Amino acid sequence: MSASEDFSRRIEEAIKSPKNVGELAGADAVGTVGNADCGDMLRMWIKFKEEDGKRVIDRATFQTFGCETAIAVASVATELIAGKTAEEALAMGGSELSAPLGPLPPVKIHCAQLVEGALRSALSPEEAPESNQAVAPTLLQQFQEQSPKKIVLDPFQ
Amino acid sequence: MSDLLQEFPGAQRALFRAYHIGGCSSCGFRSDETLAQVCQRNNDLPLEQVIDTILSAHEAEQKMQIEPEELSRRLKEESESPVALIDVRSREEWDAVHLNESQFLTQELMQEILTSWPKEREIVFVCHHGIRSQDAAAFFAGHGFTEAKSLAGGIDAWSMRIDPSLPRYHLE
Repeated sequence: MSASEDFSRRIEEAIKSPKNVGELAGADAVGTVGNADCGDMLRMWIKFKEEDGKRVIDRATFQTFGCETAIAVASVATELIAGKTAEEALAMGGSELSAPLGPLPPVKIHCAQLVEGALRSALSPEEAPESNQAVAPTLLQQFQEQSPKKIVLDPFQ
Repeated sequence: MSDLLQEFPGAQRALFRAYHIGGCSSCGFRSDETLAQVCQRNNDLPLEQVIDTILSAHEAEQKMQIEPEELSRRLKEESESPVALIDVRSREEWDAVHLNESQFLTQELMQEILTSWPKEREIVFVCHHGIRSQDAAAFFAGHGFTEAKSLAGGIDAWSMRIDPSLPRYHLE
């Protein structure tokens, strides 16, 4: 099996039943990267709990309309950071957050960075990286673009 | 890429359907990249093959369209897996006029479809004139939904050809 086939298989497995999808009620922190208005984004919710005198992540969830890789990375990352303190979670880079998926092909590293960005935006908003470099309008943006216009019903013919 | 998209408006849909490129910000491309650069950083896709895909996009788009008459027939059929009608227009347009059988695409519904709907479910996207719904159908097709379709001519064609009691409208 080639490296790219192996990667596709792991992603396929991960997105069959993604973990921790959806909004987390009563979250202590929320972070977003991308443009939430048009849905081209990844958002992460984090809830803390006290454990052995430390404030650790109880649960993290995410929502994204992005590619399979972003879904897969967010799914494994939200599982990995549970039980960690904010500092420990922040110390993890994109490659650590996506480690269970194995090495990502270079073109997909951006997807892991997206997850890392959402995590930073939630836990350390002042240090969150600028949102992604400008890309041409994406398909998502195109069909979700909602320009406010006046709707005029035509008279019946 | 901006020149390419100007010349071939369906190119982005074709790229996402076939190669999962250009759908969201994590697989997007920059306007100033060339197609060769985009291919190269996407697992070294063969440029010739990608160009063929773009050139035959028109044909593929035709296959993703469903005419209002055909949709009307499908909606009347008794089926265990009824066709899902998803409206991608703005909330204001939806409030003004919509098909009874359709659902308004909220972010929550989108998340639900992407994560839990069967990939072979027939989904027909609806917009005003059948343009944005094509983008939506291509987006979902690129996410593996093999039966994602777009209502040809949109709700406007539906008003004219199937249900004249549904008011037509224009945007100002």
